Amino acid sequence: MNTRRIASALALAAVLGTPAAAQDRGGILNFARYDGSQLVDPIYADRNPDIWMVGSLFDTLLRLGADGKSVEPGLAESYELAADGKSVTLKLRSGLTFADGSPLTGADVVFSLDRARNGDLSSWAGLIGSIDSVAADGDRITIALKTPDPTILTMLATFNTAIVSKAAFDAAPGATDQEKSAAIFAKGGPGVGSGPFYLCGFEQGATMDFCANKGYWRQGADGKPLPYLDGVHFQVIPDDATRILKLQAGEVDVAEFVPFARVAELKADEKLNMELFPSTRIIYSPINVRATRADGSPNPLADVRVRQALNYATDKAALIGLVLHGAGKPMSSPLMAAATQDAVNMDPLYGYDLEKAKALIAEAGLPQGTKITFTTLAGSADDATIFAALQQMWAPLGIDLVVEQVDGPTRGAKNRSGEFDIHTYGWVNDVNDASQVVGWLGHTPTANAVGTGWEDATFNGLYEAAQTEMDPAKRTDAFAQMQKIYAEAAPLLFMYETPFAVAVSNEVSGYVQTPLGANVFEEATVSR
Amino acid sequence: MTETTLSLPKSRSRLGLALRRPGFLLGAAIIGFSTLLALFPGLFAPYDPNFIDYTAVGQPPSAAHPFGTDMLGRDAFSRVIWAYRINMQMAILATVFALVIGVTVGALVGYYRGVADMIFGRFVDAIITFPFLVLVIAVVAVLGPGLINMYIAITLVGWVYYARLMRAEIIGQMGNDYAAAGLVMGYSDRRIIFRHLLPNAITPVIVYWMTDMALAILLGSSLGYLGLGAQPPQAEWGVLIAEGRNFITTAWWLSLMPGIAIVLTGLGFSLLGDAMADLLRPRG
Amino acid sequence: MQSLAYIAKRLLLMVPTFAIVMVIIFLLVRLLPGDPAIAIAGDKASDADLAAIRERLGLNEPLLVQFWLFLTNTLQGDLGRSILMKAPALGVILDRLPTTAFLTLYAVTLSLLIAGPLAFVAALNRGRWPDAAIRAVFQVGLSMPVFYIGLVLLTFLAARARLFPVGGIGHGFFENLHQLFLPAMTIALYTSAIVMRNLRASIIEVLDAEYVQFARAKGLSSRLILGRHVLRNALISTVTLLGLSIGNLMSGTLVTETVFAVPGVGRLMLEAIFARDYPLIQGLTLTFAVLVSAVFLLTDLVQSWLDPRMRLT
Repeated sequence: MNTRRIASALALAAVLGTPAAAQDRGGILNFARYDGSQLVDPIYADRNPDIWMVGSLFDTLLRLGADGKSVEPGLAESYELAADGKSVTLKLRSGLTFADGSPLTGADVVFSLDRARNGDLSSWAGLIGSIDSVAADGDRITIALKTPDPTILTMLATFNTAIVSKAAFDAAPGATDQEKSAAIFAKGGPGVGSGPFYLCGFEQGATMDFCANKGYWRQGADGKPLPYLDGVHFQVIPDDATRILKLQAGEVDVAEFVPFARVAELKADEKLNMELFPSTRIIYSPINVRATRADGSPNPLADVRVRQALNYATDKAALIGLVLHGAGKPMSSPLMAAATQDAVNMDPLYGYDLEKAKALIAEAGLPQGTKITFTTLAGSADDATIFAALQQMWAPLGIDLVVEQVDGPTRGAKNRSGEFDIHTYGWVNDVNDASQVVGWLGHTPTANAVGTGWEDATFNGLYEAAQTEMDPAKRTDAFAQMQKIYAEAAPLLFMYETPFAVAVSNEVSGYVQTPLGANVFEEATVSR
Repeated sequence: MTETTLSLPKSRSRLGLALRRPGFLLGAAIIGFSTLLALFPGLFAPYDPNFIDYTAVGQPPSAAHPFGTDMLGRDAFSRVIWAYRINMQMAILATVFALVIGVTVGALVGYYRGVADMIFGRFVDAIITFPFLVLVIAVVAVLGPGLINMYIAITLVGWVYYARLMRAEIIGQMGNDYAAAGLVMGYSDRRIIFRHLLPNAITPVIVYWMTDMALAILLGSSLGYLGLGAQPPQAEWGVLIAEGRNFITTAWWLSLMPGIAIVLTGLGFSLLGDAMADLLRPRG
Repeated sequence: MQSLAYIAKRLLLMVPTFAIVMVIIFLLVRLLPGDPAIAIAGDKASDADLAAIRERLGLNEPLLVQFWLFLTNTLQGDLGRSILMKAPALGVILDRLPTTAFLTLYAVTLSLLIAGPLAFVAALNRGRWPDAAIRAVFQVGLSMPVFYIGLVLLTFLAARARLFPVGGIGHGFFENLHQLFLPAMTIALYTSAIVMRNLRASIIEVLDAEYVQFARAKGLSSRLILGRHVLRNALISTVTLLGLSIGNLMSGTLVTETVFAVPGVGRLMLEAIFARDYPLIQGLTLTFAVLVSAVFLLTDLVQSWLDPRMRLT
C-alpha cells in the first residue's frame, strides 16, 4: 500500500512538473498509434501520420515558441527579415551535425529549401512560393523573396522546410528524388536528419523505432543534450478499443486518439493521465450556397437567413455533449480554431436561439417540410450522431433532414462538384498561420470557399492583400474583417473544436502533441 | 408428376421423425419468434430506438431500460429488438435473389450444357477463386456502403454458389429414367426443367439456403461492424456491437446483448437447416 | 503419367479462369466511386494537381488501353505503386503476406487439434450425450461473429488476465505462437466447427460402411479398423474441406487482423479499400485469387495422392 502511494505521489509530482526528481534519462517510450507512417520526409509527408512525425527526425531553421504563435531560433541561432520584406538572412549555429555526426552546412540548407520549393517534387511548394532564391555563404543563409511574405518566418518553422542531408541524398540509390527519399527511409539510420531522433527501425504497417540523436543541439534541464529518452517504439493499432486495452494492460505507455466517449473513464484511471491537448482542429459543415442545386432545383440554402437560422437552431453544447462527451468547445471564430494566430473570439458564435431561428425561417418564407440532404461519412459514428442530433434539432424549423452516407473520396468529389446540400468536414492547420485555413474556407479562387460556392468580392480582396501585408497589425485587422463578413454570411454550419485526446501512463511526462498535431518527444521522459 | 407424388409418403414418415427431433423444434421456435420480432418490433420494444435522450446517457440496466441506455441515451433493449427487423431482412434479402438467379441459371446450364455451360464453368471458377468477403467488400466499395448495396454485392457474388449446386443436381437428375421419359414423350424443355427436374433437384439447394441465411446475418453484421453495411443510427446487431465495443469493460451489456441475438438467430437457422437436411436427404 | 496429365489439364483450365479474374479485378477498381486523384492528393489539392495525377496514372486513357496496360504490367510482375504506401504494391503485399500465411496455418492447425479428437469422441458416442454436447458447443461456435469473439478474448484473456499480449505481432516463430494465439483461436473457433461436423459425418459413414462392418465381423481389432479405414477416409474429407474453405479462412483474416492489430494482407485489404488505393486493391485481390487457386490445386493433388480412385475422374 505504502509504496504504491509513494509511487503515485511521485508520479503526481512529475505531472505537476516539480523539478525535484531532476531528470529521468534513458528508457524507451512505447507509443500506440492509430495509423502508421509511410514515408517521413519533409516534402513527401502528405498524410497526418507522416507530417506529424517529421519534426522528430528533421529540424527546422526556426522553431515555434511554446505558445505556438511566436517564432524563435532553431538550427539558425539568429534571423533577420529585411526592412523591405524581400529577404531573410539567417545565421546557422556552430557545430551543427546530422545524427551520424557529419556536419550540417549551408549547402544542406540550400539543398533542402530548393527541394521544398520545387513544385514538381513537393505538394507543399505553394506555401513558400514567395522564395526567389536561397544562397549560403559559410554559416550565413540568405533567402531572397519575389514579394514580401508575412508568413515566411512561420514557414521556416514548418515541417516542409526542415533540413535534410544533401550528402545522404547524393549517395542514395534511385533515379528520382522521391525514389532516393524512399530508399533512405527504407534503410533508416542516422545520416539524413538533424532532429532529436533518427529512424532506427521500420516495419510497414506494424512498428517504427526512433533512436536518440546523441549530438542534438538543444539541451535539457540537466545541461546535457536532449532528448531524455533513448528512443521511441511505435506500434500501429488502428482499432480504438484494442489500442486502449494495450495501454491498460501496460504494454504501451501512450495511446493516441482516444475516442471521446472514453475520456471520462480513462480520466478516472489513476494509473493514467488523460491529456486533452489543445488543437487547431475544427469540425464544421459546408453549406451549398449556390442559387440552384446540382440537379437544377432551387436551393433553399442560397438564402442567407436560412443558413443563419440553421446555425441558431443548432445547440452546440448538446452536440458537444453527445459527440465529444463534453471534451470540446464551440467554434468561437468562424474561420479558424481559437489557437490559430489572428483568431477573433466571437463567442457565442450563433448561440443557441430557437426563437430567432424560427423568425428567420418565417422571414425567408421557407415552406414547412422542406427537404434538406445531410451528407455524412459512412461508418463514422460521430457523423451519425451529428446527423441524428441535427435532425431532431432542426425539426421545429419545419426542416426534414435526410441523410446520405458516402465514403471519403466520394464526399471530396461531391464537395468539388457542388452536388450536396450540407456535409460534414473537418480541418487541422498544417501551418501556424491563418492564411492557409482562411484561403481554404473563404477565398473563392482557392477552393470555391470549401466547395460552398460562396463568393464575396470584399472578402477575396482582403485575403489577397493580406498575403503580402507586412504590417502585423494591419494583417490582423484584415483577418478580423474577413471573420466578421464570413460569420454574417454563414456559408458553414459552425460546429466545434476538438482537442487531441491522448492517454498517457503515469510513468511518462513531457510528451506533447502540438495544436498542429505534431508528436513531440524531445522533452518526454519515462520513469520505471 | 407421378415421381414427386410417389416420394411423398416417405417424406411424411421422415417429417414425423424430424418433428420429434429437439434440434428442429428449437430451431423452428427461435426462427418463429425472431420473425415475430422482426414483423412487429413496435409491440415488443418499449421505446423509439432512435430517440436521443441527452439526460439518460450510458445508464446501466434497470427496470425502465432492461439493457441500459447507450452513449446517446437511446434504449439499448429497443435497439436490439428493432435490429431484428433489419437482420432478419438481411437473412432473406441477401440470399433470396441469389437463390432465384442461381437456381434458374444452374438449371439452364445444367440442362443445355454446351458452350454456355463451359463459359459458366470458367466464370464460376473465377468467382470462387476470390475469398467471398474480399469480393463482397470490393463490390460494396464500388457501390458505396449501405444495406441495399450490401444486398446487391452479396447477391452478385452469392448466386454463383447456388447455381453451381443446382447445376450439379440437375445433371444428376438427368441421369434418371423420368428425365429421359419426358424427352421421349416430347415435353417442352421448359416443362421438363421446371416441372420435373427442378422439384427433385432443389432440395439440397434449399438446405444450403438455410445455412446461407445464418451466414448472411453473420456477414451482414461483419460489414455493419466494419462500417460498410447498415449505417448508424440504424439499429443493426453488427453496428450495435461496434457502438458498444469501446465499453466492453464498463458497459459490457451494450455489446453482449446484440452478440447473443446474432448467436441465437444463427443457431436457429443452422438447426433448421440440419433438420431439413435430414428430412429431405435422399435415401441412400 | 496420369497425374501429370491431370495437372497439365488443371493448369490449362486456369488460363481462361484467370483471364476472367483479371477482367473482374480491373472493372471493380475502375468502377469505384470517387476520384482516385482526390484519394491520392487529398481534399486540399488544387484542380491542377488533380489533373497532373490523372495524367501520370494514365486515368485519361480509354478503358481498353488501361486494361491492356494493367494486363501486361501484371504479367511482368508489376502491380503498380501503392498510393498509400508510396512503394511498389507487390513489395508491400509480399512484406505482409508471411504474417497472414502464418496466421492462417496456425488457425488451421488449431482447428484440427480441437476438432479432430472431439469428432472421434462424438462419432464413437453417436446419439449419446457426449455427441450431443460436443455438437451443441460447436453449433454455437459456428453462429458467433468473429469480431465479437475476438474482442471478448482480447478483453478478458489478454487485457484482464494478461495471458497473452494485446494485439500486434512479435518476432520469430515461437514468440508469434504466443502473440498470435488469440487471433488464430478466433478464426479456429469457426473453422473447427465446420471441420468437426464434416469429420464426424465421415467417420460415421465409414463405421457404417459395409466393408468396415465386414472387417469387424472378421474380427479385426477396432484399432486397426480405425487406423486403416477411418483415419484415411477422414483425412481425405478433411483435406478437401479445408482446401475448399481457404477462401473463408482468408475472409476471416480481414476482420481478425483488424481487431487484433495484426499487420497482414487482410487488414491491408481493408486499409486499401478505405484509402481508395487502386493499385493495392488490384494487387491484393489478385494475390488472394492466386493463393486460393494454388490451394485448390494443391488440395486436388493431395486428394488424388490419398485416394487413387480420384485420379480416374
